[in-house]
Amino acid sequence: MSLAQEFTKGIVKENPIFRQALGMCPFLAVTSSVENALGMGAAATFVLVCSNFLVSLLRKVIPASVRIPSYIVIIAAFVTIVDLLMNAYLPALHKSLGIFIPLIVVNCIILGRAEGFANKNKVISSLFDGIGMGLGFTLAMVVMATFREILGNGSWLGFNLLGEAYQNQPLLIAILAPGAFILMGFILGFFNIMEKRNRGGAR
Amino acid sequence: MGEIFKLGFMLMLVAVIAAVALGYVNSITLPIIAEQKEQAKLDAMIDVAGSLGSGELSFDSLSVPSLENPYAEVDQTLAVVSVTDSTGSELGYLFVAYGRGYSSTIQTMVAVNTLGVITGTTILFQQETPGLGANVSNPAKFMYQFDDLGYSSLLLSKDGGDLDAITGSTITSRAVTSSVRAGMEALSASGIIPGDGGVL
Repeated sequence: MSLAQEFTKGIVKENPIFRQALGMCPFLAVTSSVENALGMGAAATFVLVCSNFLVSLLRKVIPASVRIPSYIVIIAAFVTIVDLLMNAYLPALHKSLGIFIPLIVVNCIILGRAEGFANKNKVISSLFDGIGMGLGFTLAMVVMATFREILGNGSWLGFNLLGEAYQNQPLLIAILAPGAFILMGFILGFFNIMEKRNRGGAR
Repeated sequence: MGEIFKLGFMLMLVAVIAAVALGYVNSITLPIIAEQKEQAKLDAMIDVAGSLGSGELSFDSLSVPSLENPYAEVDQTLAVVSVTDSTGSELGYLFVAYGRGYSSTIQTMVAVNTLGVITGTTILFQQETPGLGANVSNPAKFMYQFDDLGYSSLLLSKDGGDLDAITGSTITSRAVTSSVRAGMEALSASGIIPGDGGVL
């Protein structure tokens, strides 16, 4: 597979959320506004690229039978370092992303890519895979957050779209947890239909 | 047997390297983070106190023995800071109100002038539901209503007052309102601010 394909497969064909159904926890929890979705996406992408890089670099050093605990230590260490550095040197960004950063440790996309890709592939391909998967994750988060923020708050990225009257009486369930599950069902259903149509057309 | 030791050793090596890296980063960032927290608090104080008066303001912590602590339920104390301008005349007071919201203890910094009227507020900390209660941090959604009120006016319209709660976030709105009210009542009871400056 070429580097360009390693990069683009994460965005559409193997999108971590829509196609692999990984990382559902942040997908449901942090998509109540587009701003949060972008923040979580950016922070997770950063950690994903770093952990893919390191896991790929160490893939011949770490024995296979203890690889999972090693990956978890590497990922948790990275997340903590990112958290500390951001807190010290980029306090404004840390203030808006602060609560999401510890959550990245439990984002299974990162462990999934370390186990499923980086430990079998070269460093450069792993970097591209990390960037692609991270962008795919961010894109999926933004799609979901777009629906939820417009329906539930009448705005997009803080801009008022549907007017004051709607904002005073919005479809609140879209922002609450049940709305997230309902919308996730619709979105995953839509992608499954598209997938079936595509396959049917090819045969 | 040797295999187990080899695996254990590798795992230990990974953990030790991670621990050393974390310790090193922490030792560098710890003082910077502490300094920034202090600075952020000072900035919030200057920002909120700016509504009391302009120019060079100085802050002094005020100790009043008779001051009751309305926040014992959330394990916080009521600390009052008096604000004076460059000529030494007292402009008002700052305090932090703690209210149990929907999913966090909300900390609100309040500036009250010597007449007992709120001149400014800011939310220092909250972890309410994003998109709902978290809107409390946006002054235009809720907190703007607090300006120019005395404590007796601090009541949501659902509870018979005039303040409109954030849509879908009555618990958050009520927590902020009643915590600020409780703090001002305590200030008033100890004689720091007059009975009720809200009658304007």
